[in-house]
Amino acid sequence: MPEVKNNIGALFLREIRLVAGNHSLLLTLLLAPLFYVFFYGTIYSYKVEEKVVLAVADDDRSEMSRMFVEQMNNMQIVAVMRAASLEEAQEQMYRGDAQGYFYIPKGMQSKVLSLQQADVVLAVNGARFLPSSELTGAITQLGLTIGAGVRLQYQEKMGLNSTMALQEAMPVNIDYRPLYNPQASYGGFLLPVLLVLILQQTLLLGLSGSIALERENNNIGRLVTMGGGLSGMLYGKAAFYLLLYLAYAAFFMTVNYQVLHLPFRGSYRDLAVLLFLFILTLIPMAVWIGTLFKSQLLAAQLMAFSTYPFFLICGYAWPFESMPPALQGLSSLLPLTPFVKVYTSVVQTGGTLREHAGSVVHLLLLWVFYLLLALWGLKRLNKKQQPLSL
Amino acid sequence: MIRSILKVALREWKRILAFPVYYLAMLVLPPVLCLLYAGIYNRHFAEDLPVAIWDEANSPLSRQFTFMLEQTESIHITQQVQSEGELQAMLHNGKVMGAIHFPRRMDEQIKSRQPVYITIYTNVSYLVPAKLLYKDAAQVLLTAAAGVQLQKLMKTGMPAGKAMALVMPVQLQSFTLYNPRYDYQQYLVPGVIAVAMQMMMIMVVALALNYEHKTHSLGELYEVSNGSASNAIIGKSLAYLTVAWVDYIMITLVIYPLFAAGAQLFSWGLFTIFTLLMLACISVGMMVSAIFKDLLLACDVGIFYTSPAFVFSGFTFPRWGMPWYDQYYAMIMPLTPFVDAFFKVYFMDLPLRYVRLEMAHMLLFAVVGLPVSIVLFQRTLQQSTVQHA
Repeated sequence: MPEVKNNIGALFLREIRLVAGNHSLLLTLLLAPLFYVFFYGTIYSYKVEEKVVLAVADDDRSEMSRMFVEQMNNMQIVAVMRAASLEEAQEQMYRGDAQGYFYIPKGMQSKVLSLQQADVVLAVNGARFLPSSELTGAITQLGLTIGAGVRLQYQEKMGLNSTMALQEAMPVNIDYRPLYNPQASYGGFLLPVLLVLILQQTLLLGLSGSIALERENNNIGRLVTMGGGLSGMLYGKAAFYLLLYLAYAAFFMTVNYQVLHLPFRGSYRDLAVLLFLFILTLIPMAVWIGTLFKSQLLAAQLMAFSTYPFFLICGYAWPFESMPPALQGLSSLLPLTPFVKVYTSVVQTGGTLREHAGSVVHLLLLWVFYLLLALWGLKRLNKKQQPLSL
Repeated sequence: MIRSILKVALREWKRILAFPVYYLAMLVLPPVLCLLYAGIYNRHFAEDLPVAIWDEANSPLSRQFTFMLEQTESIHITQQVQSEGELQAMLHNGKVMGAIHFPRRMDEQIKSRQPVYITIYTNVSYLVPAKLLYKDAAQVLLTAAAGVQLQKLMKTGMPAGKAMALVMPVQLQSFTLYNPRYDYQQYLVPGVIAVAMQMMMIMVVALALNYEHKTHSLGELYEVSNGSASNAIIGKSLAYLTVAWVDYIMITLVIYPLFAAGAQLFSWGLFTIFTLLMLACISVGMMVSAIFKDLLLACDVGIFYTSPAFVFSGFTFPRWGMPWYDQYYAMIMPLTPFVDAFFKVYFMDLPLRYVRLEMAHMLLFAVVGLPVSIVLFQRTLQQSTVQHA
């Protein structure tokens, strides 16, 4: 037993020297996680978009239309850009100066006052998802409020007192409760997962690069001997990454959550167990991936393309059930898929591991699966790279 | 000179087909990524998301509202719950993405002029489903509410036209242009493909010059290019640009028409801005390759430079929502002007005069990158001949 410990310890120290002496590994494993986590974090630091520019052409030029535009401009989400005509408003959208246009035709006020329905036009640039949907939601709400105001005046004229008139103006109301991200903000949605994505990708890139480097330098056979077997070699290398990434995870979940003002609603103990399992699963996955590449350069180059695909199929940005069965299968093989499900629940909704026992078991099964794959990959390379003994 | 440039280009094509660091990234990865991205959004919209109903009213009106909600694209009622606690638990553990609550005595309250509040709950930690659910649920409930008001007013003997004018005095004619149904495949697939292309080109071209050291072929390049760094760099750039055009043909003739809601098969506008993007990426990559002789370092610089490009470009989260320094950082990436131009040319089908500024911005990368690469690489070429001699 002490010998095994010594072997693992020796491999652990060797890995530190390897990373310290290889600028690519150093950059990927020691600088990139810290740099990215603050660098990316700043993008969404305001979390919501505000003052989306809307070009407004008002041909009515009445008291009511001016009030309409003024109320629009007072909304947090809208910034009004005046246009002399409908054509100019359209041109402002074409140029990209505005994200849509709003047109009030002549005669709106007189129609409303004579109890006829008046039309106004809102056109938003749907090519830009977030701003256009926010604009439509906000202007629809404003239209409803103005409608309620007109009804209120009518009911008061009909002799109802103001309380009754108010009740009559809005008999059915919607009470919207966006849970766990009250501002329904993009930053609130993306940042928690961005932090784990940075952990995952730098670990995969660094460790797969390290294994590919060992293969490139014909070191696998020697390392297996040094570790006292395939498992010993794996644990020796893994120990360094496990410690390093647990430290990063602890830092991200405390310091970065504070700096980025992200709410944390669950239990730190559950999160610690979950992150430990996640990193434990990612390590053999990275080792196995590394065995597939003949050089560190190729590993770095191709693994760099994995970030977006892994994120897009993990079921967070796009519902898992909405993907084709083949991609659901592929997604199920990623540790990120069960992890994100539990992680989001723990940090954002205050969920527990017990509530997500199925996903935790899924993650454990993936750990076993990748462990076997990693050992198989190392065995294959070990056969090829046995040190020559005279 | 032209002959020499063409010779270099031909030689580079052979290298692209010979070395995995080139052909895997330039010819194998793009189709694989394109098909993967297209597959993810194959259903275009997130449909039939699980929703719970907490119906305390248990009335004809609440059943009618429930029926209307079920008819929408995004809502699929999977659970009936009896309490708020049960509802919260289901949202909590992800069994449902949203929930609707109809209050007790809803029908009587509407009749007796008491305002009624119907609650929509969504789990916004999943933003996309939450937004879709809210949009559909709010639309149904607002329409239903308008129907209730209309009936009430007409019962007082008011003519239908006048009643309608009171229910909705200002009728908002709302149009979502260019992607009216918020189709995710139509919107996201072209964008993520552009990101992959940008990343691919910069990372591969970052090895264009320094990989000659690894393959011990600088002397050969010196001969083919007549000892001119400009011939070598222009020839190599031409080879990469032609590969980019092959990828462009694959994207616009196969991926966009089949998987991105039938975009136009060929557009000079799109071809022009794509070529400018690729040229900008080639210039940046070439500059990296000329500066960093170490292959891994050049590759790492490529990775660290290109990885954040998508989020900084404003494709998903608008740039004006970012802090000012991030907006400046975004400007030093070719993808940023491309994304602005792409919205106008691809989605809005506008002529190129609307993207002059963006085109100039992309061209700037070439104007700076290529001359810097030529100057730096000329020294490397000369040194190699001295060593060779």
